Formats: sequence, structure tokens, C-alpha cells
Amino acid sequence: MHTTRIETKHYPKESKLTDHSLMPPCQAACPLHMDIREYVDLVAQGKIMEALQVIRSTNPFPSICAYVCTHACEDACRRCQVDSAVSIKAIKRFALEFGGDRMIQAEAKTTHAEKVAIVGSGPAGLACAYYLRNMGYEVTVFEAHSEIGGMLRVGIPQYRLPREVLDIEEQRLIQMGVEIRTNTRVVSLDLLFEMGYKAVFITIGAHQSLRMGIEGEESAGVIDGATFLREVNLGLKPSLGNKVAVVGGGNVAIDAARTALRLGSSDVTILYRRTRTEMPAAETEISQALEEDIRIEFLSAPVKVQRESNQLKVTCIKMELGESDEKGRRRPVPIEGSEYYATFDSVITAIGQTPQNAAEFGVRTGRGSTIQVDPQTLITNKVGVFAGGDAVTGPATVVEALAAGKRAAKRIDDYAQHRYPLDKDGVAAMDGELSSHTVEKIRKIERLEPPVTSSKKRAKDFKPVEQVYNWQSATNEARRCLRCGMGAEILFQDKCASCLTCLRVCPYDVPYVDESGTIHIPSEQCQACGICIAECPAKAIVMRKPSSYLHINDELEHAIRSFSKSEFKPSIIGFCCQYGLFGTGTLANLWRGAKAGIWIVPVLCVAKIEPGHILRAFELGAEGVFIAGCGEQCARENTNMWIGQRSAKVRKALDEIGLEQERLTIFNTGEQNGELTNKLDEFTETISRLFLASVLMQEVKR
Amino acid sequence: MIVAEPKPLDAIRQMIAPYSKVLIVGCGTCVTVCGAGGEREVSFLHDKLRLAQAKNPDSIHNYFEYTVKRQCDPEFIDLLDAKTEGVDAIISLACGIGVQAIAEHFPDIPVLPGVNTTFNGMASEYGVWDERCATCGDCCLDETGGICPITRCTKGILNGPCAGPKNGKCEVSKDMDCAWMLIYQRLERLGQMDKMRRYYPARNYQAVPRPRRIVVKSNVAAGEENA
Ligand SMILES: Cc1cc2nc3c(=O)[nH]c(=O)nc-3n(C[C@H](O)[C@H](O)[C@H](O)COP(=O)(O)OP(=O)(O)OC[C@H]3O[C@@H](n4cnc5c(N)ncnc54)[C@H](O)[C@@H]3O)c2cc1C
Ligand code: SF4
Repeated sequence: MHTTRIETKHYPKESKLTDHSLMPPCQAACPLHMDIREYVDLVAQGKIMEALQVIRSTNPFPSICAYVCTHACEDACRRCQVDSAVSIKAIKRFALEFGGDRMIQAEAKTTHAEKVAIVGSGPAGLACAYYLRNMGYEVTVFEAHSEIGGMLRVGIPQYRLPREVLDIEEQRLIQMGVEIRTNTRVVSLDLLFEMGYKAVFITIGAHQSLRMGIEGEESAGVIDGATFLREVNLGLKPSLGNKVAVVGGGNVAIDAARTALRLGSSDVTILYRRTRTEMPAAETEISQALEEDIRIEFLSAPVKVQRESNQLKVTCIKMELGESDEKGRRRPVPIEGSEYYATFDSVITAIGQTPQNAAEFGVRTGRGSTIQVDPQTLITNKVGVFAGGDAVTGPATVVEALAAGKRAAKRIDDYAQHRYPLDKDGVAAMDGELSSHTVEKIRKIERLEPPVTSSKKRAKDFKPVEQVYNWQSATNEARRCLRCGMGAEILFQDKCASCLTCLRVCPYDVPYVDESGTIHIPSEQCQACGICIAECPAKAIVMRKPSSYLHINDELEHAIRSFSKSEFKPSIIGFCCQYGLFGTGTLANLWRGAKAGIWIVPVLCVAKIEPGHILRAFELGAEGVFIAGCGEQCARENTNMWIGQRSAKVRKALDEIGLEQERLTIFNTGEQNGELTNKLDEFTETISRLFLASVLMQEVKR
Repeated sequence: MIVAEPKPLDAIRQMIAPYSKVLIVGCGTCVTVCGAGGEREVSFLHDKLRLAQAKNPDSIHNYFEYTVKRQCDPEFIDLLDAKTEGVDAIISLACGIGVQAIAEHFPDIPVLPGVNTTFNGMASEYGVWDERCATCGDCCLDETGGICPITRCTKGILNGPCAGPKNGKCEVSKDMDCAWMLIYQRLERLGQMDKMRRYYPARNYQAVPRPRRIVVKSNVAAGEENA
């Protein structure tokens, strides 16, 4: 007789499955940490409203980002290693437009006595206002210009950001109860405190253009980029003449050049002192400018401007690239004796900006006149005065400004409520590159760019250049996502028998076994196809994000409940891949209305269907079951083969039980529409026949 | 490792016909690895039985499932104590050892085999299992180049090959390698052809006195108990 007893108390066998997914690189790179993987996945499933909800949960003004975000997420996208990044920004724009973002109403109630003043209505200021108002504070936004938006209004040209987008966001803020005071330049913070504000958030941006520091810079006909764009955006029409030079290589330079073109200057040249590789402007901006016949002269910088008979004679010097600076960019070095000159009607300088008059507020400033803040509390050297956005960082991006405003709202709340400011720990981020042999095995699918208006047509006006995806393109593009960090995990190492099944079935060679015999599934390599989960004989593997797997049972129960209420017989259950189901017209081919007796159970890739799911459908009353997968259009490998094998296993079981094997069939949604319809009709007929026969048999038995 | 295969569903349904509350017990070791009796298959059998019952409501059973780490150790079977209340029969998806170990533990509950324990073998590739050892208790693999003629030769002869092999395949089935041809090639490669030329006397085919028992406690208590 043995005496050893196994402790059962602490054995977590039935432990609840929880979300173990890791933060993917796109989310980690986004200053707002938007849950990109989630909304992209929802778009791929055609769940646009849900996607919009996810988008709005972390971004106060996604409609703005959908147009102008610099998308650090796409730069971090690991799909770059396979082919090219997922077109995240365009997918977001699609979700907003098709999900009905402009219909969303906002409201907020005042629950705090403290009032907050925000100086500047750029993205940082507006984001801060949005969140503080949501927390229940009374908020006033002071804006020096006649309209709100900061650089969104007076910097970014309309062809990249239609102004109605800003107007809708402004209306929503007003609806929430944010007080907006335009044409009000704040000159004294003390006055604000006297007016009863508990805290002030300074977000005055960086609107003071840097000077080139060359002879003749003051000449008439030389204008700085920020001023030029502001004038145009506020409705003025500066006359530039035909031949325009723009100095600089950033987004402001490109925007100024393209704006000049749209104002009627037909000969626009950008002078940039480095090469295209070093150009800080976004790649698409550069190529769109070139398409519009804007010339870029690389390795060239002006050294002198002279006004001669109504024109500007600009002396330039040629550059070559020298050593790298501290940021790793190679420094331009003038080539002696290479001076040349050209004449222009106007010159626009766009070589950077700094905050304007920040020191006036009595706050400490640092390099480039930027305001200095404590990195944790975001507070300046003055009590109750916070700062953020371009005014603190120097010229940066919209999304960084939004993130700064969002964080400042939390910090101001902490300050007002006398709490110690702490950032809550986020989800652990996933890092690491895809290994080359996994990359090799991932199916290549080319990135789909959203449509743009032709360069001929667009150069004439300020209408938006980039268009929105249609439904099919959006879902197909979203399906390219590799779903980093939500793949398989051996949750029950104690159950794992080291049988090596996962190593043998993984289409991407992800799992490996160490010398001790322990199996590992590296999270940064797994493609979340789910094949090993269904195949694991010990049921030791789960999805890090269990909902994508467990929902099959819920959906099945739901379908069964619906058909048990329906009069129509026979009932057929169709397990259909949800990816692309709604966008690609598949559903229209499968769905015959409630009366047809066909009930769809959407699954996130048919590779996740287990034999047990199919048996359960039959057990609960289905007379026939079909599986509709994407076939060759599946973003994953081998799906068809696995679903074929599992179906064979189920058919054998059906046979053993005395049910006809024809009751289970597989369709390919990628097939020609008509063909799929025919096959489904045939299948429905077969099932009706079998059903009738079984009813007769029962009658006879009685 | 022990390799088993599922019994036909009909056979299982006949076995459980008289019982109403039935516990299906899986084993987390060999039969998990060979895919016949791990948690996945326990759940698949469970699903099949429920479906069969739904389509043929004459016999009503209540099914429960549980998988233990290893059914051939009594300590693990203890864990079933809490699961067997009111249970009328247990289906074990382990090898015959597991079935018996559970039967020994629960003298009052009928224990039924859910799989056929088939052989001792290895995975030659994903999902393919080959017999390798007959547990004869008299290993001669040193003489035969590491290839067991008892298991792998259809006739189990010790002085092969017979006159049957054709192109290296066994005369019984052309899909099967002739074990003695394999032994020959291997010994040739090892430079041990002398072993091929030797005559092996007939093995002792007298019935082995069963059951066999081995006692090894030397690592626990010094020597004396090792009898
Ligand atoms: C031409 C151009 C194109 C750009 N394109 C992009 C792009 O495509 N994508 C991207 O991500 N970023 C882009 N940027 C950068 C982006 O616009 C800025 O980083 C962002 O707007 C900074 O936000 P902010 O809230 O800090 O400041 P701002 O947007 O600059 O807003 C500051 C506001 O404060 C107001 N203000 C200043 N002083 C006072 C005062 N004393 N009292 C009251 N109000 C005051 C100003 O009038 C202004 O409205 C671009 C910038 C420019 C100039
Ligand atoms: S989920 Fe798919 S990709 Fe990930 S380890 Fe399992 S089989 Fe491999």
C-alpha cells in the first residue's frame, strides 16, 4: 500500500483562462498606445462599429489622426520583415468613416469644483480638455487665433486634413461643455489664477519659425513657412508669383511647396541640404509632391538672397555629406567654390520652429525656447502650471501632442485631488524580431494602398488627396495583420507530455523543445493560427487571447438557440471564417434569411474548429454542418489541409454513430460566387432528403 | 512507449449499456503522446457518446471526464476518489495497465477499456507509430545490429532471412521492409558480418512464468531488499 498522497488543494487544473496577450510592437510604438491589433482584427472581421469603439477608447480625436498621423505604428509593424507594413492609418480612416464616427455624440457632467484653464487649442490642449471634461472638471480653452485647432488649423493644409473634421470635433467638445474662447491671447497666468482656475495647462505649440541667418533674409518676397501656411489657412491668398523656392526638408517644407502649387505657382523647387534618405518629411508626402511636379534640389542650401528688379536672386552652395551628428544623421558640408545662383519670385523658409514667447509666462525654458517640465508630473517651475505638446518637445507630431494632453489631464487630476502621480503599469510589451525561417513560411500578401486623387487633378485645389478604402480593400488589408503577441501559449506545462505534436504541426516552425524536454512556444514568433491548439492531444495549449478561440462555443449556442425557435427544418449550421465574411460578399451567398434554416457560426479562421465543435452542432440538433473557409485566400498556411483532416475524423465518428457522412461538407468561400451558391443549394437538398428519410424511418418504427 | 488505438464506438457503447453514470478517464502519458487516450481524445469520446445518445435516446447515460497524469501509478489514481461518487462504470482510455490499476483501486466499480493496447513502439514521423519491441525479456539486439527480429520480422525468426524477401521487402507484404535484410545491411556497415554467419539456437519458447515482477529498490535502501 502506498502512503504518498498527492496534494490536490493547489492544483490549478481548472484555472480560468485569462488574457495573456502581450502588447504588440505597433501599440508599443504609438504614443497613445492604441489597441491597434484589436481594431485591425475587428475590421478584418467586418465588425466596424466595434472597431470604432476600440479606436475611440484610447484616442480622443481619431478622425484627425486618420488623416495626418505620422503612424509610428506602421514603422514598427513586423509585417515589414515579411513584405510591408499593414496600412494601419488607412484602416483606421475606414473604420471611422464606415463606423459612423461623425454621428457619435459626446456628453459629460461636472463633478469637480476645480476649474482648469488651457492655453492653446492645438491637439495637446484639446486632448487635455477632452479628458479633464470627461473626468468632470470645468475646462476653458483660450486660443489666440480666431479658430481652434492650432497647427491642425493654421499649419496642416486642407488637402491633407479637411476642416470639417476639426469642426465636428469642436462641436463635440462644446457639446461636452468645454468652454472655448477664441481670439483670446493669454498674456498673464496670474490673471487666470485670479479668475479662479485651479490649474493651467500651457500648450502654445512652436510657431516661431527659425531664421536661416543669411544675408538678405529680410528682403520682401521672403516669407517663413509657418506664417505662409497660417495666412493661407486663415483665408488670405498671399501672392507668390510663378517661381517659388522652399528651403527645408521637413513636412512643413513639403506642405508649403504643395500649397504654393495649389495657389497657382507653377514652378516650385525645394532646396534641401541633405539627400532624400535623410529627409525628415514622410515618404508618401515626398513622393506625392514629386508626382505633382515639384522639384527637389538635394544637397543644396541658400547662402545669400538679393532683391533684383522685382525678383529674388538666391545664391546657393552645393553640399556633400560628412560625418554623422549625435542623432546619426550625416552632416552636410559645403563644397568650396560650388556656388551658383537662381532667381525666384518668392522664397519660403521652413527650417524649423520654436515656441513663441514662452518665457513671457515666467516658466523656465530650455533648449530652443522650449518649456521645461518635470517628466513625471508635467508641472513647470510654477505651482499649478503644467505644459505639454510642441511647446515642450519642440516641433513634433499630432499624436505626440495628443498623448501629452492625455497624460497632462491625468496629472492635473492628480494635482487637483492631491494624489501622488503614478502611471499604472501597462501590459507587458512583446519584443523581438521574427526569425528568418518563420518569415520564409509566412504567406506574402502585398500591401494595398488607399486610393489617391490623380496628381493632375489634385494639384489644382485643396480637396483631400487620400481617399478612403472600400469595404473589401479594408478587410483584406486588415487580414494581413500578424496578430503579434496573441498567439499560442502552453498554459498547462504540467499537462504537456512533450509529445512534440505542436512542433510537428506548426506551419511556421515556431515551437521548440529544449534539452530538458520542455516545449516552448516563443510568443514573438507565433502567428496565432491556432492549429497546435486543436491538435494538442493533452489540451495543454491555449491562445494568449482566449476570446478569439472560446467564442466558437458561444456563437454555436447562440445559433442553436435561434434555430430551436425556428419552425424551419432541417437546420443547418455553417462554421464560416469571419475574416472577410461581411465585406467580401460571402455572407450574401451563404445567408438565405431566417427561413432557410441555415445558421452561421462565425469563427476566426476555420483552423480553430475542433472535431468536438462539429459533433456538438449535430448533438444540439443540426441536421447538416458545413465549414466555409477562405481556401487559397486564407492569410495563413495549410488551413485547408487541417480542416480536411479533422472533417475526416468527424465523418468517421458520424458513420460509427449511424449518421450519413454527407451531413458534413467543406466549402471554399474564395470560389466563384455562383459556384458557391450552387454548392450550398445542393448541400441543402441533400440534407433535406436525409432529414425526410430519417423522419419517415421514425414514423415506421412507431 | 506504449501505443494504443481507440476501440470502435459500438464496442464501447455495448460495454456501457448497463450503466448510467459513466466516468471517462484519460491518461497523460503514453496514450496522450500516441493520440489515443489523452485529454483531447477523452473529450472527443465524450462528444461522440453524447451525440450517439442524442440520436438514439433509448439508452440514457450521464458522462463525466477526467484525465490523470499517469494511470499506472496508484498515487495518481487516488485523485479519482473525489470523482467517482455514484459512478456506475469507468471507461479508461489508458493502456491495459491503467485499466487494471484503476480496477484494483475501485473494487466495486466496473472498469472498461476504451482503447486497444497495441504495441510498444516509436513515432517514425508525425502521426505514424511503428512497433519496435515485444518485451520478450531476452534482448538480443547486440547480435542483430540494433534491429529486433522478434518484433520486426513477420515470422520472428532468429536465423533469417527466410527465402521470401524480394527487393528488400517481406514476402508477407511488399510495403514492409524485411527485418533480416535490414539486419544484414546494418551488420555489413558495422563490419560485423560474423554475427550474420553464426547460428542462433532456438529461443526458449516455453511460456514465460507470468506475471513477471521486478523489484528495484537499490537507490532507496542499500542492497538487501533487492531480491
Ligand atoms: C505645416 C505643418 C504640417 C504638419 N503636419 C503634420 C502631420 O502631418 N502629422 C503630424 O503628426 N504632425 C504634423 N505637424 C506637427 C503638428 O501639427 C504639431 O506637432 C502639433 O499640432 C502640436 O500640437 P500642440 O497642441 O502642441 O500645438 P499647436 O498645434 O501648435 O497649437 C498651439 C496653439 O496655441 C495657440 N497659442 C499660442 N500662444 C497662445 C497664447 N498666448 N494664448 C492663447 N493661445 C495661444 C496657438 O495659436 C495655437 O493654436 C505639422 C506641423 C506643421 C506646422
Ligand atoms: S498557434 Fe500556430 S503558429 Fe502558433 S505555435 Fe501553434 S501552430 Fe505554430
